Amino acid sequence: MNRINPIYLGGLLLVVLMLFIFKLSSAKDELSEVKESYKTTAKLSTELSGLKDVYSQKSKTQKALQRVLRLASLRSADLKQKTKKSGVVISSESMDINALNSFMGKMLNGAYNITSLKIKRLSDEKVSLNVEIKW
Amino acid sequence: MRFSSKIDTLFLDPHSEYSAVDNKVNIILSPSLYWVKKQALPLKYVRDVKKLLPSIFEDTLPEGNYSYSAYKVEDEFYLFAYEDKLIIETLAQKGIPMSNVANVYFAQSELQNISGAVKINETQSIYVKDEMVVLVPCCWIEESGDLDLSAIKLSSHKISLAQFSHIVDNKSLYKIGAVLVALILLVATEFFITRQKVQYISELKDEVFVKNNLQSTMFQNKSMLKKYKNIHTKQTKLREYSSYILALRLKENEKMTQLSFKNKTLIAIFSGVKENNSSHIISSLKSKGVKFKTSFKDDILEVEMVL
Repeated sequence: MNRINPIYLGGLLLVVLMLFIFKLSSAKDELSEVKESYKTTAKLSTELSGLKDVYSQKSKTQKALQRVLRLASLRSADLKQKTKKSGVVISSESMDINALNSFMGKMLNGAYNITSLKIKRLSDEKVSLNVEIKW
Repeated sequence: MRFSSKIDTLFLDPHSEYSAVDNKVNIILSPSLYWVKKQALPLKYVRDVKKLLPSIFEDTLPEGNYSYSAYKVEDEFYLFAYEDKLIIETLAQKGIPMSNVANVYFAQSELQNISGAVKINETQSIYVKDEMVVLVPCCWIEESGDLDLSAIKLSSHKISLAQFSHIVDNKSLYKIGAVLVALILLVATEFFITRQKVQYISELKDEVFVKNNLQSTMFQNKSMLKKYKNIHTKQTKLREYSSYILALRLKENEKMTQLSFKNKTLIAIFSGVKENNSSHIISSLKSKGVKFKTSFKDDILEVEMVL
């Protein structure tokens, strides 16, 4: 018989259907993985960008520090600044309590990566200061 | 009865015997395997007549699952009804595999020009009466010749046997086929849409990498994020713990002489603090839930907190 048996055609269609269902299932799994990966990447990217923006912006940190050091309340503090490749060290041999309060208020309320700090009382009115900030 | 040609032709009759069939054969069906009517109908085309065949044969046929065929000669139509299952079973009984069947014809269309009666088995003959090939017992006709198919030129009036028509009729098969095709189209469309979504999201992910200047691998990025999170945690704790220290209410003669921070350790040194009178400092820090260590030496209290 030259005519193709309809059952064979039906079988072929079923095989093609099963093949597409299998491919679709794989594609759905892949889509689910890609979506999850995208979510993870987007979340990581947002967090990383935010944190880098706060703790790893050299020019931004330097500008902010310059603004602080130019404050009128700190003029008498004789703050010295030593810039390194990875950060900056700010120190004063002797500064008054009010200047310290003003300086530390700015440091602790700002987004600076303070890696070391030493405040030592010299007298009732005077203290010495050494603080290291990294970027 | 076997005759040689390019493809052999066999006359298929339920009461005849056949030798094994190894090659392709054309089959001419005995009148006992089909029903035939000759009618003049007010229709022009065979395709229109085919639609009416079930109702034309409705009152004639015994119970069964029939297929129909028709062809036109001059102004009259030859109408056929046959059971695929019966023909296939007969072929099987005679040892003729379906795979060796090339084409199937009716005796009506192929043997209309035989002269006189022709014997087809021990008890039956066929002959043509009023342009119809009919089957009669041998005893009705005294002189019968043998059937010679070698000179017969087969017509174009062949039929196709539906092997499973007794299980599923053609209409149902077409419906099932249509449903399967529709499902394939649906699933295939869904598949291609899903693939496009995968590609689109992958591109979005690449854009996130470029836009945020991320490192090339997630491992590197995760490592960087961990580093910055540690910095953030340490800085937050430094500010939090410093605020606890600076908020302490010291007694008269008590002074904080040093505050230092290095390598995750925040140290505050207080002078003028009596060991037996330091509860206000310790309890205040404890109330904040801070872990710390204290040490005394000559009225000097050292508080050490690890961030």
